[in-house]
Amino acid sequence: MSDPALGLTMLGLIVVAIMMGFPTAFTLMGLGMIFGYLAFLDPGQHWWNNRIFDLIVQRTYGVMTNDTLLSVPLFVFMGYIMERAALVDRMFHAVQLAFRRVPASLAVTTMLVCAFWGIASGIVGAVVILMGVIAMRPMLNAGYDVRLASGAITAGGTLGILIPPSVMLIVYAAVAGQSIVKLYAAAMLPGFFLTFLYLVYILGWAMINPKIAPKLSEEQYRVAVPDWLRRLERGRARSVFLGIVAAMFRPGVTRGSASSDGNRVRYGLVIQNFLALMVPLALTAGTFAATWWYVVIYNAPSAQVESAPVAVAPTPQTVAPQAGSPVEEKPQELGEVESEIKSAEPPRGADAPPEEMTIAGEPSAQSAAGKVPAHFYDWFWGLAAASALLLAYYYRRMDGEQFEILKELSASVVPLGVLTVVVLAVILFGICTATESAAVGALGALYLAVIAKFPRQAYTWSVFGVIGGVALGWAHADFVELIVSGSLGATFAGTVIPILQNLKSSPELRQNIKESTFLTAKTTAMVCWLFIGSALFSAVFALHGGQSLIERWVLSMNLSPLGFQFLAQLIIFLLGWPLEWTEIIVIFCPIFIPLLSHFQIDPILFGTMVAVNLQAAFLSPPVAMSAFYLKGVSPPHVTLNQIFAGMMPYMLIVCLCLAFMYIWPGMTLWLPEFLYGN
Amino acid sequence: MNAQRLVHGIDQISYWSGKAFAWLIVVLTFVVSIEVFKRYILNAPTAWIFDFSNMLYGTLFMMCGAYTLALSAHVRADFVYIYLKPRGQAALDLALYFLFFIPGIVGLIYAGYGYAADSWRIGEHSNITAEGPPIYHFKTVIPIAGALVLLQGFAEIVRCIECLRTGAWPARLADVEEIDVIDTQLSHSEYVDEESRRTAMQTAHAVDEAARHRSVMEESVVHERAIREDEQKKS
Repeated sequence: MSDPALGLTMLGLIVVAIMMGFPTAFTLMGLGMIFGYLAFLDPGQHWWNNRIFDLIVQRTYGVMTNDTLLSVPLFVFMGYIMERAALVDRMFHAVQLAFRRVPASLAVTTMLVCAFWGIASGIVGAVVILMGVIAMRPMLNAGYDVRLASGAITAGGTLGILIPPSVMLIVYAAVAGQSIVKLYAAAMLPGFFLTFLYLVYILGWAMINPKIAPKLSEEQYRVAVPDWLRRLERGRARSVFLGIVAAMFRPGVTRGSASSDGNRVRYGLVIQNFLALMVPLALTAGTFAATWWYVVIYNAPSAQVESAPVAVAPTPQTVAPQAGSPVEEKPQELGEVESEIKSAEPPRGADAPPEEMTIAGEPSAQSAAGKVPAHFYDWFWGLAAASALLLAYYYRRMDGEQFEILKELSASVVPLGVLTVVVLAVILFGICTATESAAVGALGALYLAVIAKFPRQAYTWSVFGVIGGVALGWAHADFVELIVSGSLGATFAGTVIPILQNLKSSPELRQNIKESTFLTAKTTAMVCWLFIGSALFSAVFALHGGQSLIERWVLSMNLSPLGFQFLAQLIIFLLGWPLEWTEIIVIFCPIFIPLLSHFQIDPILFGTMVAVNLQAAFLSPPVAMSAFYLKGVSPPHVTLNQIFAGMMPYMLIVCLCLAFMYIWPGMTLWLPEFLYGN
Repeated sequence: MNAQRLVHGIDQISYWSGKAFAWLIVVLTFVVSIEVFKRYILNAPTAWIFDFSNMLYGTLFMMCGAYTLALSAHVRADFVYIYLKPRGQAALDLALYFLFFIPGIVGLIYAGYGYAADSWRIGEHSNITAEGPPIYHFKTVIPIAGALVLLQGFAEIVRCIECLRTGAWPARLADVEEIDVIDTQLSHSEYVDEESRRTAMQTAHAVDEAARHRSVMEESVVHERAIREDEQKKS
C-alpha cells in the first residue's frame, strides 16, 4: 500500500508543517498518524483495525524503554543541580586572579569559565546572561574592545552543548544507534581543540594589538593576604609552604597573629589552610594513582580478576563453557576468552544494560593482549617525575598571594572539576555505563550543593558515610574498592541526611531541588516526546518509500564523500539558524545517517561534526540567540552589530575546526579507537 | 469567565500530575546510585533494576508530557510563528490542533489502550531477564499519559478560541523556567555590584523572552534602564 508520491508529499509537508510553529512533537505524530493510516489502509478491514495503531504504540514503547535515552534525565538533572550549586561569580573571580598576568586576562578567564560552566549547565541562554552580568562590565570598565568582550562571552556560552557530558550527544547517540561512550570520547578532543583555538585567537589578537585589552591596574587584582600568612612566608621566594607545615607541628608559630576577622589564629584554621595547600598535591597524586590502577590493575590479565570492582565469582575461564548460566561477567576482563564468552553468552542480565555491549568490545589493544602497553612504565614514571618537579617548583614559589588564589580556586573550581572529570572518566574508561555514571554524577552534584550550603553537617555525615561504606564493603572488597565504597558512602550520607535535616528550615534548598526536578521533567518530556513523534514519522516515511527516494536522489547526484559531507553540513548549518538543536538532531539527522555508510563516513565522526557545526550555526549573525541574550544584559551603548562583529571570527574558527576534523579524522576518532578498539 | 476556569482547572491537573511524576528523577538517581554501590562494591546486583529504572524513566517523561504542554515547553520551530499577531497564531494553532494533535494523540490513546489491555490480559512480564518484573502497569502509562495530554490539548484549544475572541493570549500559570538560575546565582554573588545584579535579576525573564524571538528586549525597558543609570551617575 505504499506509494512514493505520498512519500514525496510527506517530505514537502514536513518542512511546511514544522515551519508553522506548532509543537513539533505533535506535528510529527499527527503527520505520521495520518499518512501511516493511509499506508496501511486495507478496505477489507475495519477502520479501527489499521496497523498504524500497532506502529504508534510500538514506537512509543520503544522510546519508553530506550536505554540510551535513559541517561538523558539523569544528565539533565545533574546539570540543573550543578548550575545551582556552583557559584559562577566566585569561579570567575578565582580564575581571573590565577590568570591575572596573562594578556587579555579577563577575556581568557571568560572563555575558560564559560567552557567549564557550560560543561555543567549546557543552557546557552543562562550561561550568556550570567557571564554578561559577571564578566561584561569588568571587561568594558577595563577598557576592553567591545567586540573582544562580547565574542568571548557568546562563543564561550555555546561551547556547553558540545563538550561532554552534553545532552545533545546522547540524543544523537540514540538517533544514530551509536554508543554514548564512543561519542563522548570522540567529542572530547574536538571540544577542547575548539576551546584551544578560541583561546589562541584571543591571546593572539591581544598580543598583536595590546590596545584592545589594556592590562588591569595593580590594585585591581591585588590579593588580600592576611597578616598571619605573611608572617609564615619563608625564604627568598617567600613560600608559605614550609611556614604552614611548621605551623601544623608547632602551633606556637602563629601565636600573637590575628586572622582576617580579628580573632586569634586557631589551630583549626591552620589545618584548613594546610588542607588547601595539599589540594594540588592530592589532585596530582590522585590522577597518577588512578591511571596506575586503571592500566596496571584494572586492565591487567584476568589472573588479577579479583582486584577489579565488578568481577564476581568464577574467573572467565570457568564461565565460558557454561552457556546460559546466570553469572554476571565483566566485559573488561574477558580478554582472550572474550570470543568464547560472546558465543556462549547468556542473555544479558538486567544488571548489564545493553550499553555495556559496546563496551564489551572494549578490551582494547592493551587489555586484549592481557598486558600493560609497552613503554607504559617509562611514560608513567617520566611524567610522574616531571609533575613532581613542577609541583616542587610551584610550592617553592608559593607566596601568600599565590596561596590565597589557590584557596579560592580550590573552593570554587576544584569540586565541580573533580566531579566532572570523575563522571567522564568512569564513562570513558568503561568502568561503568553512562547511565550509572550520570546517576552518581547527579548524586555528586547534590552533594556539592549540600556542601556549599551546610558544610559542617555535610562533612560530619560524610565521615559517618565513609565508615559505613567501608564497613559494608569490607567483606568483599580490596583496597581500591574500599576507597570507592568509602567515597560513595560519604556521598550518600553527606547528601541525604543534611538534605532531610534542612529540608524544613531552608526554603532555598527546597527551591533549588524543586526547580531542578521540575525543569528536568520538562526538558526530558520535551526531548522524548519529540523522539516519539520523530520515530513514528520516520517509520511511516520509510514505509512510503520516502527514505529510499531521498537516498536514490542523493546517490544520483554522484557526490564525492567530501561533497556529501559538505552538503550535509551546509544543510545542517542552515537549519541551525531557525531551529533548535533538538529538532535538528531528532528530525533531520536521521535523514542523513542512512546515507553515511555509502560515503564511508563514520557516524561518530559525522555526529561530532554536526555538534561542532551547530556551534557555528548558533554563532552566525543575524540569527544567533546568544547575541540577543548578551545585548539584553549589556550596557545600552553596546550595539547588536558590535556583538555580531565580535562573534564573526569565532564562527570562522569553528569552520576552521570543522575543516581540521575533516582533513584529519584522527583527531575525533583517535580517542574512541584508543579506548575501545574498532 | 467559565472558559477561563475550565482552562485553569485543566492546567492544574496537568501541573499537579507532571510535578508529582517529576519526582521520579530523584528516585531514579537514588535507585541507580544504590545499584552502583550494590553491584560494584557488594557484588550483589539486582536483577530487576534495569527494568525498574527504565520504568521510572519512561513513566517520568510520558506523564510529564501534559505538564510540558501546559507550559508550552514543547519545542516549536517558531521563526515564522513569532511574527504573526496573536490572532493569527491562535488561528494557526487551532487548525493544527485539530489537524495534527487530535489524530495523533487519539490514535496513541486508542492504540495504547489495546496494548495495555493485552498486556494485562496475559499478565505480561519483562523479558529482559529470565524472570522479569511485571510490565503491564508500565504499559498502562501510555493511554493514561495520552489522555492527560489530550485533556491539556483541549485546554489549549480553548485558549486558542479565547485568543481569537479577545485578540490576546490568556495568561498561563507561573512556573519554574530555565532562566531562574540567574536569580539563584546572582543573589549569592559577591563580586557583582548591587545595581547591575538587581537589574539583571529583574530583566532576565524579559531578556530571555526577547532573545527567543530574536529581538532585543522591549525598547521601553532598555530605555528605563538607561535613564536609571544616568540618574545614578549624576547622584
